[in-house]
Amino acid sequence: MNILVIPLRNLRMKWARSLLLLLVFTLGVASIVALNLVSGVVGESLERKLVAYGANILVMPRTEKLTVSYGGFSMGDMLLGASDLDEARTMERIAAIHHGSRVSAIAPKLVSMARVDGTAVGVIGVRWEREMAIKGYWAVDGEFPAREDGVLAGSRAAASLGLVPGDTLSLGSRTAVVTGVLRPTGGDDDSVLFTGMDFAQAAFGRPGRADYVEVAALCAGCPIEEIVDQIAEALPGAEVQALQSVVRQRMYSVDFVQRLILSVSLIILLIACAMVGATMLSSVNERIREIGLLRSLGFSRPGVFAIFCFEAVVLGAAAGCLGYVAGHALSLRVIGALDITEGATLAFSAAGLALTCLLIVAVSVLSAFFPAWKASSVEPSEALISL
Amino acid sequence: MLEAANIIKTFRTRGVESPALAGASLTVAPGEFVAIVGRSGSGKTTFLNILSTLLTPDSGQLRYKGEDITALPPAALNRLRREDFAMVFQFHYLLPCLTARENVLLPFLHSLAPVSAEVRRRADACLDRVGLGGKGDKLPGHLSGGEQQRVAIARALVKRSAVLFADEPTGNLDRTTGESVMDLLADLGNDGLSVVMVTHDEAHAARAHRTVHMADGVMA
Ligand SMILES: Nc1ncnc2c1ncn2[C@@H]1O[C@H](COP(=O)(O)OP(=O)(O)O)[C@@H](O)[C@H]1O
Ligand SMILES: [Mg+2]
Repeated sequence: MNILVIPLRNLRMKWARSLLLLLVFTLGVASIVALNLVSGVVGESLERKLVAYGANILVMPRTEKLTVSYGGFSMGDMLLGASDLDEARTMERIAAIHHGSRVSAIAPKLVSMARVDGTAVGVIGVRWEREMAIKGYWAVDGEFPAREDGVLAGSRAAASLGLVPGDTLSLGSRTAVVTGVLRPTGGDDDSVLFTGMDFAQAAFGRPGRADYVEVAALCAGCPIEEIVDQIAEALPGAEVQALQSVVRQRMYSVDFVQRLILSVSLIILLIACAMVGATMLSSVNERIREIGLLRSLGFSRPGVFAIFCFEAVVLGAAAGCLGYVAGHALSLRVIGALDITEGATLAFSAAGLALTCLLIVAVSVLSAFFPAWKASSVEPSEALISL
Repeated sequence: MLEAANIIKTFRTRGVESPALAGASLTVAPGEFVAIVGRSGSGKTTFLNILSTLLTPDSGQLRYKGEDITALPPAALNRLRREDFAMVFQFHYLLPCLTARENVLLPFLHSLAPVSAEVRRRADACLDRVGLGGKGDKLPGHLSGGEQQRVAIARALVKRSAVLFADEPTGNLDRTTGESVMDLLADLGNDGLSVVMVTHDEAHAARAHRTVHMADGVMA
C-alpha cells in the first residue's frame, strides 16, 4: 500500500462517475481508432481504385525535334535522339526506384501502324495484365486475348474495319485473331487495335523495344514530383512527365478524406479532454478539505498533484486499451460492410495499442493538469476552514 | 519544546481586515497537556493553526526544539508536519474512500514507498486503543460521529509524533462520546506526548495540566 491507493480507492468509490468518464473517453478513443483504421483501409483501396482510372506518369524516349529547311524548302521535322526504349531495362529501373512500392503499375507500349483491308490503323502492343491494371474501366465483348496472337479491337476501329471476334487479319509480318471488341471508352483506345507485346515486337520487327511506358503511382505521403524525379534519375535517356491534373485530383480526394477524419478525431478528443478536465476540477473543489488534510499530514505538493494525475493516468490507460480494442472491432465491422474495401485486411497491432494507450494517457493527464495543479496549491488552513 | 512569541495575524478578505491575533504567546513543555480556552472568535483556531504550521503568521516567532520554524522551506515543513506534529480537528476529515484502517495509515501513504508490516501493526494497535479494534475495515460513512473522531485520533497517534494539536476535538460530539474522547487525550499526556487542545468547554479544559485563556487575539 502506498500513495496510489488514494486515487485508486477514490475511482472505486466514485464508480459511477469513473465509469461514465471511462465510457465517454472509451467511446471517443474507439471512434478515433475506428475512423483512422477505416480511413487507412479505405484510402488504400481508394488508391488502388484510383489507379484503375489511368496512369499518371509518362515515360518516353528523350527526343529533340529539329525542323529542317534548306533553301526555302521545308524538309519536315527530324527527330534526334533515341526513338524508343529498351522495354526490359526500363521496366526494371522504374521498379527499382526508392519509392518503388508506391508504383502500382508499369505499362509499356509499342506503337505501330498497319493496314487492314487497305485502311490504316494503329496497333498498340501491350502487356495485358499490366494494361488492365491501369485500365480498370475496360469492358470487352468477347474475350481478352489469352493466346499470343490475340487482338483486342477498339470499338470504332472494329466498326470501321468490320471486325468481330473470331476474325483473322494480318498485322505486319504475322497473322492475328480478334478475340474481343472493347466497349466504347470515349478515349483513344476506341480507334486502335491492341495486341500482346511479344506479338507486336515480333510482327513489326522490333524485339525488346517499347515506345513509351505509362506508370501509375500514388504517393499519399510524398509529392508525385519525387517519384518523377526518381524515375528520371534512373532513366537518363528518357523524358518523364507527370500528368498533373490526374495527380492533383487523386491526391486531393485522399487528402481531403484524411484531413476530415483528422479534424473529427481532434474534436472528439477535445470533448473527451474537456470532460475529464471539468470532472477533475469539480472533484478538486469537492475534495478540497481532503486535500487540506493531506497537506496537514505532510503530503508534499507534488504528492497531491500525483494523486490527481494518477486518476487521469488510470482512466486514460483503461480508455486507451478498451477504446483501441473496441475501435478495432468496430472498424472490422465497418470494413466488412463496405464493399469498396473488398480484399482489405486489418491486422491487430500491439504497437498500435501501446501507442494509443500512451497517447490517451498523455492527453488525459494533460487535461487533469490544471485541476491537479489547483489541488496541489491548496493552503491547508484555508482548505480546512472551508467547512 | 514549542514556543510561540508575540504572534500577530490579520486576515484580509476583499479589503476588509479582521485582526485575529494581536501578539499571542505560548510555551509548551515536553509531555505537557495545555488547554486553550476562550470565547468563539477569540483567535484560538488561528493560533493553533499557526502553532501547527498550517498558517503563516504576519509577525512573531515560532520555535520548535530550539529551532526557528516560522518560515521553513516546503520540504522541511512537510517533514515537520509528517514526523513531529499531529492534528485532530473539530471535524474528522477522514477520506471517505478509505477504510478506517487505511485512514489511520494515511500519514504513511505520502509516497510510493509501501507501508511496512510494522506500521500496519501499529495502526491496528492504535485502532484498538481508541476502542475500534473490530471496525478497521469499515468505511467512515458506516461509523458514528464519535467513532469517526476516534479514527481521526488514531490517525494522529499512529505517527508517534511529539506534539498533538487538537482543535475542539469534542465540538461535534455529544456529552458522553466527548468524555470518552477526552479520556483518550488525557491519557496521551501520560505517554510523554505534548498536547495543545483548543476548547471552549471549561470542564474539558480542567483535564489539562495547564489552561491558557484567550480573548481578542491575546492571552488573557
Ligand atoms: N480565513 C479567515 N478569513 C478571514 N477571517 C478569519 C479567518 N479565520 C478566522 N478569521 C477571523 O479571525 C478571528 C478569530 O477566528 P478563530 O481563530 O477562528 O476564532 P476561534 O477559533 O476562537 O473561534 C475571527 O474574528 C474570525 O472571523
Ligand atoms: Mg475555532
